[in-house]
Amino acid sequence: MTKKIKLKISARLLKKKFRKKTALSKKQCRFTNNPDMIHDLNFKNAVLLSKFLTERGKILPSRISGNSNKYQRLVAQEIKKSRIMALLPFCATEY
Amino acid sequence: MFRYEILFLTVPEITKDESEAIKSHFVKVIRAHKGTLISFDRWGKYRLAYPVNKNDYGVYFLTRFDVEKEEKVQLLEALKEIFVFKFNTLITKHIVERLDENASLEYRRPDSLEDSPQDVDTFLKRHDMEGLLKKGPIRKTFENRERSQDSDSLDGEDLGDAKPEVRKAAFVGKDAKKQSETKNEENLDYDEEN
Repeated sequence: MTKKIKLKISARLLKKKFRKKTALSKKQCRFTNNPDMIHDLNFKNAVLLSKFLTERGKILPSRISGNSNKYQRLVAQEIKKSRIMALLPFCATEY
Repeated sequence: MFRYEILFLTVPEITKDESEAIKSHFVKVIRAHKGTLISFDRWGKYRLAYPVNKNDYGVYFLTRFDVEKEEKVQLLEALKEIFVFKFNTLITKHIVERLDENASLEYRRPDSLEDSPQDVDTFLKRHDMEGLLKKGPIRKTFENRERSQDSDSLDGEDLGDAKPEVRKAAFVGKDAKKQSETKNEENLDYDEEN
């Protein structure tokens, strides 16, 4: 009997710990740590920029992509340029 | 000294002579304003993200050049005449961007339709759909030899010209074989347990 009670408590504690970890884990900006990557951040490189778009073609917010404020502004600028040149979609639908 | 790059989009039916005509005009204008052409690259044919002038496809060109500070404004206006008025039917979109002089000239671009191989397998791998890929060759063990021979005989038939009824029959035959195999395996398992 004692064993069963212990198991129950531990499972609940583990769940609590897991929740805390997920809430506290911060996303890191991928540009601040890799200075070589900043050179690739360009409106011509549509493959990299498409990672910062949703399925529908909207720009991902920085709370999801994890970009710092400085590079989020740059990414948004470059995406808008490549949209003008028809490399990326304004609104992703089948045509 | 100022360094510029211009990316412009043309219609997909552009020929070699037309692209060379654009380049010759480009060189002529830049020389007249005492500039130097660095590069004139043809990216290739692309599928566009949205239709431009009712075209789903287009060809991109990238040009780079240096200009002196005094002639900068006049040259850019002269180039705009080429893009907007002279080759109005060919060129649909263009964008002008200023570059740093010390920065390297290397750049990355998405793969064009001419570069990339148009196999089904590579397309599936690139778009993370490896579940749809055909499985590799079956291992040639003593147990699998008979099965592989049977499946080869079925696959070797030319189903393209056959009627749809025949196709159905072939698929049914495959499914029936698979089912029979699974049944046999289950029976074997039961035998072992018993």
